[in-house]
Amino acid sequence: MADTIDAYSIQSWLESCPQSYLMNTEHGHGADEREPDFLLENEVLREETIKATVQLVVGERCALSASSGLINSAPEESSRRFLATQTLDEARHVEIFTQRLYDLGVAKKDLESTIQRYANPNLVKFAEILLEKVDRKDFVAGVVGQNIVLEGMAFSVFELMHAMNEPVNPKFAHTLTGTIADERRHVGFGENRIGALIRQHPEKTAEIERMQKEMSYYMLATFADAFRNNRTIDALEEAGIERAHADYQGVDIGVMQPEEMEDVLADTVLKEFKIRLERIGIEYQTPTRP
Amino acid sequence: MGTPIPREIHDLEHERFLEEVHSFEFWFHSVEGYLSNTTYGHRADQVDESPTDPVERQHLITVLCNYCIGETAALEGASGLIAIAPNQLTQVFLSTQVADEGRHLEVLLHRMRELGVAYPAQETDRRASRALKQFRVELLKLVEGRDWEAAIFAQNVILESLEFSVFRAHAEIADPITKQILEGIIKDERRHIGFGENELGRRLHGAPHIRTRLARVRRELDHLVLGMLEDSSREIGVPADRQADLARSYSQCVERLGF
Repeated sequence: MADTIDAYSIQSWLESCPQSYLMNTEHGHGADEREPDFLLENEVLREETIKATVQLVVGERCALSASSGLINSAPEESSRRFLATQTLDEARHVEIFTQRLYDLGVAKKDLESTIQRYANPNLVKFAEILLEKVDRKDFVAGVVGQNIVLEGMAFSVFELMHAMNEPVNPKFAHTLTGTIADERRHVGFGENRIGALIRQHPEKTAEIERMQKEMSYYMLATFADAFRNNRTIDALEEAGIERAHADYQGVDIGVMQPEEMEDVLADTVLKEFKIRLERIGIEYQTPTRP
Repeated sequence: MGTPIPREIHDLEHERFLEEVHSFEFWFHSVEGYLSNTTYGHRADQVDESPTDPVERQHLITVLCNYCIGETAALEGASGLIAIAPNQLTQVFLSTQVADEGRHLEVLLHRMRELGVAYPAQETDRRASRALKQFRVELLKLVEGRDWEAAIFAQNVILESLEFSVFRAHAEIADPITKQILEGIIKDERRHIGFGENELGRRLHGAPHIRTRLARVRRELDHLVLGMLEDSSREIGVPADRQADLARSYSQCVERLGF
């Protein structure tokens, strides 16, 4: 337990995050890195990118509310201190993805209306299910919802986006590298801390399994909307921009159609959920496919 | 850590200034100056010159227990305030404060371990001042009651000003490791007080009736604050003729808002 506490201490966070991979970055990337011209100059590509970035802000705002909201219901102070670092990580993610919206040309005065316009209702519903547990001060369900389901989803989505952006948009790929490192820490905490609590509270299992099934459904519905109504590939073709090869989970998503990419992402996230939930003693519930 | 924030920050127009100083980026650059090359709030090579006299040592442990309760209250308060923050900018600032308060708690608990306390959390519960524990309860009531102005006033003005004054007085006479820890915390508290003053200053300007409500909150909390100041001065060993200075330093912080 002493090692676990040390690994999740603020001292360890300071050494591994601000004093390590965030060194020499500005809003998560190199100070001289910019969004590529082809993205800023093509209206369809720019709008699709704004739409995708809005979902990241919505997800991170939910994570910020959840991690800060869980601090006061944590049963011991070492968990509180870890959640304090997670709160700041999530706030950083909110800030850097908001900054990306500005970099893509969203005016500061239009931030909230842009988020309202593009926020996917299924993602909003996903967030509401989690925040309802947090509001009820249900620490065990809250941590599973936040650090296993939400962060697990974010981790896989960021990895996919990183693979797609690395060859064409080093600035955003660089931004995602830091968030991926953060999410890995958050998921690790969820797995390490929550297993023992589930064993102490077996009566919570059924409710948590229901929550996971419900959140997974809305996550898949969000993916479906994001990939099926996406004009990016058509816009790239029209502009004569060749898609770049991108390896994700052993397949080249750079040559796939959106529906195929959706399947790869959904299968990856659900497979990861299953593995992580089994580790903490929760039986994975297969969600309905939208 | 990252690229330095421009020095002419105070020349920025007000809204742009707030965007800068409430951001993660600003926090990131601020803490680098005093947290790099420290471990648990102090330089690793600093020789421990903590009191060897058992009575003095116990006094120091009791003082640290009180600080831990204060920082726990601040951690709970700041994290609870995120849920009622009026906009993203204040949420981000409060998140930096949550990490600061968590760090303060961690370095103080660690200091107690260095002083030989095996279970600092239990010791804190056992020794901490009743007034401070009551203040923690009252602060959380304001946060849970979703009263933004009153909760910010209690947290970022009253509690932070109290801590700022006490820590500063203690740092002057503390052993080198405790002094380094306190000096790092004081630098954070300055940022937190600045946020509270700025946030409330603007609101008081626009809606003077808030002042009446906050004055009532101050009256309700003042006896607890004075109790805490008295307890802390005694345990720290502040000379009797300096105790009034401590109370004055606290009052000056709060009175900057016109109370």
